[in-house]
Parts: sequence; structure tokens; C-alpha cells
Amino acid sequence: MNTAATVAGGKTDAGVIDTIARKELVELLRDSRFWWTGGIILLLMLIALFLGWRQMQRVDGEHAAARAVTYQQWLDQGDKNPHQAAHFGQYAFKPVSPLAFVDPGIDQFVGSTVWVEAHKQNEFNFRPARDATSLQRFGELTMAFVLQILAPLVIVLLGFSAFTGERERGTLRQLLSIGVKPTQLLVGKGLAIIAAVGALLLPVALLGFIALGFVDDQHADAKNLYLRSTWLILGYAIYLTGFIALALGVSAASSSSRKALIGLLAFWVVNGFIAPRAMTDLARIVSPTPTKVEFQNGLNEARKATFGHDETHPAFAAFRDEVFKKYNVTRIEDLPVSFRGLTLRKDDENGYRIYDEHYGALWAIYARQERIRAIAGFAFPLAALRPFSMGLAGTDTFHQNRFATAAELYRRQIQTAMSEDLIQHHKNGDNNYVSNRRLWEQIPALEHKIPEARTAIAEQGLNLGILSAWMFGAIAFAVTATRRLRPL
Amino acid sequence: MLQASELTKAYNGVVALNKLNLTVNSGEIFCLLGANGAGKTTTINLFLNFVTPTAGRALVNGIDVSAEPLEVKRHIAYIPETVMLYPSLSGLENLNYFTTLALGHKRPEHELLKLLAEAGLAKEAAFKRVSGYSKGMRQKVGIAIAMAKNAKALLLDEPTSGLDPQAANEFSKLLDRLKADGVAILMATHDLFLAKQVGTRVGIMQRGILVSTMTTDDLGHADLERIYLDIASCTDAGGAPPRTGEAEQRTEQLPSAMQGAVAGQKEAR
Repeated sequence: MNTAATVAGGKTDAGVIDTIARKELVELLRDSRFWWTGGIILLLMLIALFLGWRQMQRVDGEHAAARAVTYQQWLDQGDKNPHQAAHFGQYAFKPVSPLAFVDPGIDQFVGSTVWVEAHKQNEFNFRPARDATSLQRFGELTMAFVLQILAPLVIVLLGFSAFTGERERGTLRQLLSIGVKPTQLLVGKGLAIIAAVGALLLPVALLGFIALGFVDDQHADAKNLYLRSTWLILGYAIYLTGFIALALGVSAASSSSRKALIGLLAFWVVNGFIAPRAMTDLARIVSPTPTKVEFQNGLNEARKATFGHDETHPAFAAFRDEVFKKYNVTRIEDLPVSFRGLTLRKDDENGYRIYDEHYGALWAIYARQERIRAIAGFAFPLAALRPFSMGLAGTDTFHQNRFATAAELYRRQIQTAMSEDLIQHHKNGDNNYVSNRRLWEQIPALEHKIPEARTAIAEQGLNLGILSAWMFGAIAFAVTATRRLRPL
Repeated sequence: MLQASELTKAYNGVVALNKLNLTVNSGEIFCLLGANGAGKTTTINLFLNFVTPTAGRALVNGIDVSAEPLEVKRHIAYIPETVMLYPSLSGLENLNYFTTLALGHKRPEHELLKLLAEAGLAKEAAFKRVSGYSKGMRQKVGIAIAMAKNAKALLLDEPTSGLDPQAANEFSKLLDRLKADGVAILMATHDLFLAKQVGTRVGIMQRGILVSTMTTDDLGHADLERIYLDIASCTDAGGAPPRTGEAEQRTEQLPSAMQGAVAGQKEAR
């Protein structure tokens, strides 16, 4: 439809739509219900913004302090054998994403700290949800919650009677009798609701942008954050626009305001509360994850093929023979390099392959589950918006795994450095070899940058596509329902 | 200007309007009389394209209503039995809204106030929200909306329902003015007095059939009332509405005087 097209009577679509939108907005602004609901939503968003910001700053501050302490402890561990130093280890703290104040995502549930030590790739610890009171199990007030759950409710309340109200009042007859096209009504009413919802959300979005300016850019540069924020806003705009179209479409298709409200509330409940849980259960059934015990048992079983510190292990003997052959010796004492260093390096390398395989398989299951959940987004958009929002905020499984990978690489960097030091400097048979701070200082503190915005966007391409498809579907439904609109 | 040709509307096989043939010329007021369910409002709705005809055509200024509904709406204005407006807007704002939508441009406020005054709404009331209006006041805004459009044809569905006698009288004068300006007016009404007072011609409908058409000049008010009541009494005894194909048969149950009128209508076809 060409919005600038001239129609009968010298009227333009744009002019008619503008008139309708302005009138709708005036009506809305004169309706005390709008001010009440809008005021409450605005207040909740400001509270969520403040609480989210404060929580993010607190956790980030704690992590920064702990990160400094744990690295200082590493440096100050004193003279010792490098392999003992590898066992001494360090804590690695996942940096808090500056956009976590919008959507804290899975951070609460998966932990943010991992113990980096010799031989083992550890699980994350210190999950805030574990320390939460029972009241917090009901969920926290976050910007994401307000935008994902409460904002659609406001749209439902603003839009359910858009057409049924006109029909029930009798004004629809009046409008259609003067040649107003139903689609013009749809666009005009849609624009009015967009303007009203935008008036509520824009100040908060602006505050959020301003707040980002105060973020310590240690983990992400400003360009990355602003780009992520822009895409985040785009995702929410698609979601809320779809809801506006849906509300108007249902109103146009319903025979009464009551039926429209019931239908829309039912959708809101299923979208916000039932579908996400049902899809999570379905994903678990289709692509089950092993329990923690099963996973650990699998890892332990696989690790039995490696020798660790067990000199009676057949693999140990095989490796020793291989080393002897390489250096053309028959005794460890005759080796020009540290045999202990070589075995530690070899054992680590064997372990890396096993960890990569097992964690890779586990993460592949998580990714498959997320794709299954996302499919529901074609009908219930929150299933696609939620991972999109967490992804852009940097608080989803992808970002968690990126940090887990970075922490594991850091662990391997320590292992390799310690083993190499042994290989180069340890004399076979010398049980008192120690290294010192100079070696520890060769290991820099773990600095993890949040991935570039384009990486996160690419990762969320499927969810964005599903979300967009849903929005266009909702618009198509609204247009179809409105074209069938009859005044009687 | 307004023309119905074999215009028929049936709902689920029940005929609401049966082969209506009717012409309302410019400068003419045609009043449709009949009991509830006689087909008056269906006729209006067909001209407005609110419902689609089962058969036949409704033409406005020679344009088929079903084929070019938007083009047709340039030429017509409509006042329903109860003019419904937006309660949170004032009468002036409502008029401004509907006028802007109808014409595609805003008319100056003084012009709108003049139209409201001509429709009989006091100036101070024009600025008050419609939520506080009586039915009669809303009706006056509806009249102003119709006048603002300067339409060639006016469709009125029980327009004086709820108006006080003074307002109804002013409305009659307004219709006279519009008639003099060459507007073709089709008015569905129960008000025999109004029909006799302002109508050029009167048609009496019974169960979807225009059973009688007469010019008001030839008719006294008492005659009109007698004919109308004869038809109404026949309607009351008629039972269920006719199904498709039954309607013409039913007309034979009418009093003999009315059968002549029907025959006249058939001849006209």
C-alpha cells in the first residue's frame, strides 16, 4: 500500500492515517487508565533499571577485587615446583556484561567463577540463585521482565477494544460511511499505540544509554555496547510491534471487546508463562542433557585412558617407551629433558582432547535445546525474544561458554607454561626443583573481553529471524482481520 | 442520484429486502416507512455497502456501490438513528475529526462552529466533551458532520429519533434547505408526520418489499396514517419473515388497496 497515494476525495492515505493516529492519541492521553498503567510501568522500569544497575556495579566491583586478590595470591605463592604451582591454581571470574542490568539472563543460575587448576576443567561455582531466598524464586524485577511480560500486557489493555469498541460505540459505521478504509484505521490506531508505548519506553531507553556512558570499558568498548543496545532495542521493538498488531487484529476479528480481551489475555499467559516452560520440557525430552553425575562419570571413564600420575598405567609405559625411542636412550636419567615435564604435558594434552569432546557434546545439546525452544517463537514470540535479549545483553549460554572456553584456554596456558618450565629446567632425578615468581609473572591475569556485537548478532540470527517472522505474521493477521471488518 | 435495481438481500435464506426498485432524484426526499424489520435499514445499509446485496444493484450517482464503495462514499452522507461519537472528545473535536477524514483536509474552526450552530447545537456545548451530551445533542453533531461533507446524497436512518420537538422541527427545515440545494435524500423513518411534512415521495415497506409508493402532494396526513396502519396490521398477522421466493406470494395477502400498489411496482420493473 502506498501510504502517500491519493484516494477518493483528494484524501491521502498518509493524511487520513495521521488524523486517525492523532485522534487516537488524544483519546488515550485523556484516558486516566493510560496514565495509571503507564505510570506504574514507567515506575517499574525505572526501579528495574536502578536495581539492575546497582546489582551489576556491585557484582562487577566484587569480581574486580577478587580477580586482583586471586592473581596477587598466584604471584605471591612463593618458590615451589611448577607442577605444584599448577595445582595451586587461580579463580577465574566471568566479567559482568555491562548490559546485564537490562537482562541478567542465566548468570544467576550458572555461576560466574571457575577454579582453574591442573588436570581438571572445573564447573562454574557461586551461583547467586543458590543463595537466593525462597521469595526470589518468584523472579526478580528486571528491565527484561518488564519489557517481555508487562509491556505486552499494557499493549493488550490499550488495544483490545480498538475495533470492537468502535463497533460497540457505533462510531465504526460513522467512519466507514465517510469512506475511511479499515486498513487506514489499523495503521492509525497502531501508530497511536506505538507513540504511547514509545513515550513510556523512550525515556528509560535514553537513561539506559546514558548509563552505558558510565560503564567501565574494561570488558567491552563503548562501540560494542552501543551496537548491542541498538540491536537489543530493535529486538524489543519487533516484539512489541508484533503485540500491537496482534492486539489490533484480535480486536478487529472479535465480535465483542470482552471476547477480544479474553483471547488476548489467554495468549499473553501462554506466551509469557506456559510456552517457555512447555518448550523447555519438550527440548529436554527431545534432546536430553546428562545429569551432573552422569556427565562426571562419563568424563572419569574417559580419563581412565590417560595415565595422570599413575606410573603403572599401560599408557604411561607406552609413552615412556616412545620417549626413550625418540631420544634413543634406555633410562630416564639419560634423557636430556625432564621426563616428568614431558609426562605432565602429555597427560594434559590427552585430557584436553577428552574435555573438548565431552564439553563440546554437552554444549551441542544445550544449543540443540535452544533451537527447539526457539521454534516456539513462530507462535509465541517470547521463546525467540528471551534468548535474543540475553544474547545481546551478553548473559546467555553462548557468552557463558565463551568465557568457559577462555578460562579453559587460560588453564591450558598455565599448564603448558609450568610443564615447559619443568621440561627445560628440571633435571631428572632432582626432587627438589623449584621455580619462582619470575615464572608466575609470565602468566598474565585472565582478561576476558565480551565478544564483539557482530558475533552476538550473528549468533542470534535465528531468533531474530523467528521474531521478525512472527511480527510480520501478526501484521498480516491484523491486515486480514481488518479488511474483513464489518460495521454490523 | 440514488437508484436501487432489483436490490435483494437475504440472510441465511431469509429475505430482508426483495427486489427493490427505487430511484431518488436530486432535490427529492424519499421517505421509507414501515414497521421494524420491514427492510428500511437494510436498504440504507446496502447503499452504504455495510452489507453486500444478494442480488441486484445499488447505484449512487450512477456508480455501483458494491463495485466502487470508496468512490460512492464521496457522494453520500449518512446520519444513523443514534449518532455515536467519541465521548472523550468535544462535539467540535468530533466534527473536526470526521470532517477531516471525509474531506481530506481540515476546515477552519469558525466554519465548524457555524455548521454546529446550523444543526442547532449551542456554541458553549460545542466545546464540551460528548460524554455529557444528550442523544439529541449527539444527533445534531451527526447532522453537522453530514452537512460538512456537502454530499450529493443523504441517507438518514431514523434521524429524528430522540430529538425534542423543537430540534425535530429545525431538522425538518434543514432537510428542506438541503432539498432545495439539490441533495437527494433517502430517509428511513417511523415518523409519519415528518414524512408527510418533508417527503417528496413516501414508500411503505412490508417484509422486505416496497409495497406502496406515493407522492405526498396527493396525500393528506390522515390518508398516509391509514395506509400505513393497514399495512402494519397486515405485517402483524403475517407470521415469520419470507424465505427466498416466498416474498411475492406473500404480497397477495395484503389488503386489496395495497395489492394495487404492489402491482404498480411490478409494472415499473
